[in-house]
Amino acid sequence: MQASRARLFKEYKEVQREKSADPDIQLVCDDSNIFKWTALIKGPSETPYEGGVFQLAFSVPEQYPLQPPQVRFLTKIFHPNVHFKTGEICLDILKNAWSPAWTLQSVCRAIIALMAHPEPDSPLNCDSGNLLRSGDVRGYQSMARMYTRLAASPKKG
Amino acid sequence: MEPEQGDQPQQLQVNDVNIHNKNQSLAATDTGPCPICLGSFVEESYLDICFHKFCYTCILHWTKVVAAKHSRKPPSVKCPLCKVENFSIIYGYDGSSFQRQHVNQDFATSSFFSKAHRYRLQCYYTEPGLLDDKINVSQYWKSRKYLQLNRWLQSWLKREIQALTQEEDVDIITHHILGVIDSFSRRNEQVHQTKKHEAKQEEFKTLVSDAARPFLARRTDRFVNELIIFLASGLNIEAYDEVYKQHLGWNTSSVIVEDEDSESNELVPAVPYLYIFDENSSEGD
Repeated sequence: MQASRARLFKEYKEVQREKSADPDIQLVCDDSNIFKWTALIKGPSETPYEGGVFQLAFSVPEQYPLQPPQVRFLTKIFHPNVHFKTGEICLDILKNAWSPAWTLQSVCRAIIALMAHPEPDSPLNCDSGNLLRSGDVRGYQSMARMYTRLAASPKKG
Repeated sequence: MEPEQGDQPQQLQVNDVNIHNKNQSLAATDTGPCPICLGSFVEESYLDICFHKFCYTCILHWTKVVAAKHSRKPPSVKCPLCKVENFSIIYGYDGSSFQRQHVNQDFATSSFFSKAHRYRLQCYYTEPGLLDDKINVSQYWKSRKYLQLNRWLQSWLKREIQALTQEEDVDIITHHILGVIDSFSRRNEQVHQTKKHEAKQEEFKTLVSDAARPFLARRTDRFVNELIIFLASGLNIEAYDEVYKQHLGWNTSSVIVEDEDSESNELVPAVPYLYIFDENSSEGD
């Protein structure tokens, strides 16, 4: 408990210090609870998520960093490895390939990489996975792009 | 349901110091932070294969978390930074010696490392003093007892070397040292005695030291002294142990328990590891 708090505090300071280091990621710690974080990530360019801003919710366990944080999308996203309803993410480093050397910041980077490189063979969103597996890249992209517009694009006006 | 590992291209960028070479990493002057707690290093320790650096308790806790996921504890742990399998944690490096904690292995459960091994290793951390009142070393050399074969020598050597190297299979080292001792005795059988017994003893010491040094490094001189005491005692191993423990004032039964490791069993790093890390050693090539 103490160890996780201390480490999260270190990460917090690092995030404050390097605020502009990674313009694609904005990590914010909950005001009253250092075990709850929110991140805003930009959809990677040259993907159907480009132009969108996606919100992630982090729930950090007390055994962190020996146990991975729980992360899910709060913003709706059409992606083979993200559950369409719950926002749950299928990513090995958040499960059995976790290493304590990962940080919340680097987890965000891994999620951005996952957005750019979907893994249709381990789908949480079968519709999205099936489109890619059947080779219908255009179908997948237009669906993903549509949801990016609908759910992840900054409201105009 | 898991994506392939290969598709996390940036996995290694995080904190990776990219050290593939042991010597390089020893020379590296990275000052932290520890990749696990992100604090400055407390009890710097290194993984034995990739030589990535962590706090001792951080990496130890991580190996235990990994082990808890397996029904049978694995003998190795993947480095959190580079995923290379490592078998032990090196810590307490003071410039010449270091200690070693094998992953998921403590000496209490290790099959070959018995209480007797542990006691012998502990002996090397005490000043032996003189056992003159009990064992007469010079008498042994004067009366040329070294010409007679000591039938307990092989077992004694094996146990001693196992204790010092903390390796189970030491047959080849034992055989090597036995061979040196044996040829020494045989040479002296034939040659007419002209030298003084002190000179003989010195010659013996030099020969055995030379044979043992590549394996025992800094412990060599003490090892040779112990060997000479054992030989001069003329005792079998059990009797020798009794005399030795008595001499040190160690209560025969409680020696093992009462020592430094009665604290938390979890953090007991066993006994200090004795191998000397030596850049000049030829083992690296």
